[in-house]
Amino acid sequence: MELAIGIILAGCAIGAGLALIAGIGPGIGEGNAVAKACEAIGRQPESKGAVTSTMIMGCAIAETTGLYGLVIGILLIFVAPNLFVNILKKAVGK
Amino acid sequence: MKVDATVKKETLYIFGSCLILSVVMELVFWLCGHMDYTVPLGNLFGVIIAVLNFFLMGLTIQNSIGLDEKAASEKLKLSQRLRMLMVIALAAIGLALSCFNSLAVVIPLFFPRIGIAFRPLVDKSMKEEPAQDDDQIMD
Repeated sequence: MELAIGIILAGCAIGAGLALIAGIGPGIGEGNAVAKACEAIGRQPESKGAVTSTMIMGCAIAETTGLYGLVIGILLIFVAPNLFVNILKKAVGK
Repeated sequence: MKVDATVKKETLYIFGSCLILSVVMELVFWLCGHMDYTVPLGNLFGVIIAVLNFFLMGLTIQNSIGLDEKAASEKLKLSQRLRMLMVIALAAIGLALSCFNSLAVVIPLFFPRIGIAFRPLVDKSMKEEPAQDDDQIMD
């Protein structure tokens, strides 16, 4: 029983760590977007406001992808262990 | 440091959309019969995290615009990592404290994305209003 609980906790922790890898992608994407926006503003300085506005919205959308991973990670750390251990206890009790 | 007008405008838009979606979320909680004092507190905490994250992102973009491409890219990558750590830490605090409803803390983190999804509709309606005024003037 204790081994099974240990495996559940380890699985949840490993899963949360893997889910948080999703946080790397948005950083790279946002970096590329801002680099290209800087280039665009350098070419057409009069379009600064429009480019900045579009870029902020684009970066916020990209950021959400990382937040999905974050939420999955949080659920795996705070919610899943209790849930799975209860399911295991019920199954063993039967 | 002066905050750019674009950043202010977009942050206000996101804050407004977060408030509207918060009301919707609390209505859903109320209809499901799970409404207690932890829901508005958690909701407030979640909205603060989401809007703060968006505002800091806007500030970083504002500061990185004058830089060269590589420096701007590196700056935003670093900012994204730090902001993600901030969101993780704050969300963990929100989930750990019993005075906040866990769902009410986590769900508002997605409100900016939903607000942006509705942005074209808002822009369209705001563009249509002056056009109607112009027509009335013409008449």
